[in-house]
Amino acid sequence: MSASLAPECSPAKEKYDNCFIKWYSDKFLKGDSTTDDCKPLFDEYRKCLQIALKEKGLDKMLDEARRNAEERELRKEQGKH
Amino acid sequence: MKFFENNCTFEYSWRDVSIANWRKYCAWNDRCSHVIAVDTVSRRVEPSTGVLITERLITCKQSVPKWLLRFIGGTEVSYVHEISEVSRENQTVTMRSTNLTCAHILSVQETVIYSPDKDHPETKTNFSQHAQITAYGAFSRICNTIEDWSVERFDQNAKKGREGFERVLRMSREAFAELKADVSKIPEVISS
Repeated sequence: MSASLAPECSPAKEKYDNCFIKWYSDKFLKGDSTTDDCKPLFDEYRKCLQIALKEKGLDKMLDEARRNAEERELRKEQGKH
Repeated sequence: MKFFENNCTFEYSWRDVSIANWRKYCAWNDRCSHVIAVDTVSRRVEPSTGVLITERLITCKQSVPKWLLRFIGGTEVSYVHEISEVSRENQTVTMRSTNLTCAHILSVQETVIYSPDKDHPETKTNFSQHAQITAYGAFSRICNTIEDWSVERFDQNAKKGREGFERVLRMSREAFAELKADVSKIPEVISS
């Protein structure tokens, strides 16, 4: 698996990624996505990542990108009608 | 505005490709060294559709020509925002990404779709990549040069991306075969 942009988060990310791949191939692709087996691991990784994103000023960039993506989707939807 | 398009077929099932896709930028892929980190920012399964939605932040480090560095402020690390959707029902992986860095100068919007091949849905997967590249600025000649450079770089990275992903797919298949071989040995060990 790939590294995290914050080296201190890479161990937590690796644990989460391994859990996710297992859930994705053994459960999600087989039609069972009712449980979220990896949530505790994701929360731990996310906690670490959020700090790094804030420090690098990437949290605001991401918020804006999210808003732009939503707007684009909306425009596309409107274009269909 | 410039467009880039690329289509190819992988000799693997959609299931295998969709799993390996999450590992695309791992150590097995020695052709995509420009991607230095991939972080999952959020992930959820849409309850009404069962679609898996993942938001990732991709960190790239690319060598940028000097003339372009002047416009983008001297940074070689750039960030890409990606939102992907996996629909189990339609058997599609759709990934939409945009650049976060230098978004005021250049907009790169890429869409990648993985879907089963129509004629060989069990064994082959089609990959389609489409990008729209727009440079903003007062001087159209400079914009054109930036756009051309971006399209060219897209083409180089697409080729490398394919080679690297082929390697990840092959290694995944081999690792799985080894795992199966190990599992099949277990009864022998127990009985002996």
